[in-house]
Amino acid sequence: MRQRSQREKKHRSGEIPTGSFSDIAFLLIIYFLVATTLVKVKTITADLPTGEKTSQPQSDKTPIVNLRGVEVFFNDHKVTMDQLNERLAALELGAQDPSKRVIMLESASGTPYENYFQALASISKHDGVVAIVEEDE
Amino acid sequence: MKKRLQRQKRRSVPVPIASMGDIAFLLIIFFMVCSEVSKDNSKVQVTLPFSEFVEKIEIPVAARVAVDENGDIYFDGYQVDSVKEVELGVRALLTKTVSDDQRHVQFKCDAALPKETFEPVIKAIAEGGGIIEAVGENNE
Repeated sequence: MRQRSQREKKHRSGEIPTGSFSDIAFLLIIYFLVATTLVKVKTITADLPTGEKTSQPQSDKTPIVNLRGVEVFFNDHKVTMDQLNERLAALELGAQDPSKRVIMLESASGTPYENYFQALASISKHDGVVAIVEEDE
Repeated sequence: MKKRLQRQKRRSVPVPIASMGDIAFLLIIFFMVCSEVSKDNSKVQVTLPFSEFVEKIEIPVAARVAVDENGDIYFDGYQVDSVKEVELGVRALLTKTVSDDQRHVQFKCDAALPKETFEPVIKAIAEGGGIIEAVGENNE
């Protein structure tokens, strides 16, 4: 009995088993690499300048995009989204002064975000600065 | 000659694996320090609008605003009661910004929502000083 306890005491050592640490660490790395999703969403950039509200239009020649439900009007002419793109491209807004890049965006109540987004995307793509037209209360 | 061949057989090439654990843990620490916890409103149920002009965003956004299919507004993942909170939140986040690149605010909205629901949120972001990064999809 005494001999056994002596043998047990001798064999006991205070070392921490670190042999499998590298395996654990690499497993953690693999887990993180597999579980990670690189989120990169697709967006359109729209800088909407803020300022004083005015009841007068900025200029008589300021182009205006009207959204009435699913219908789109450009300067009071009904157009499709492709035609709107063509009209905005023809304006060559990128080559003009920032003050002349303003495109007014007016939408009727009930206009779905889908249409609004497409119009916003089209204006932004052609270097336009969006000015939201508010309805009179 | 024969003796030398025998000696060569005995030669073992030990691979130094003692530092492997350290290297691995250093890699983990590196990834943990460099990674950014996503604040994406992934739980928000949103049908994204389509446009051919959407592009992958490369600039980090200062805040994330989402409007789900029920019209509930979320600011950085937390639901807020009014658009005023969005404006104040954006304004607060952008107070210390120095360049335009730091003013981008991600805006995610359900495609079917009417103007009355989403336009006040867009205006609130603009009033707060944010440049809107409206999230959409294309056919790719």
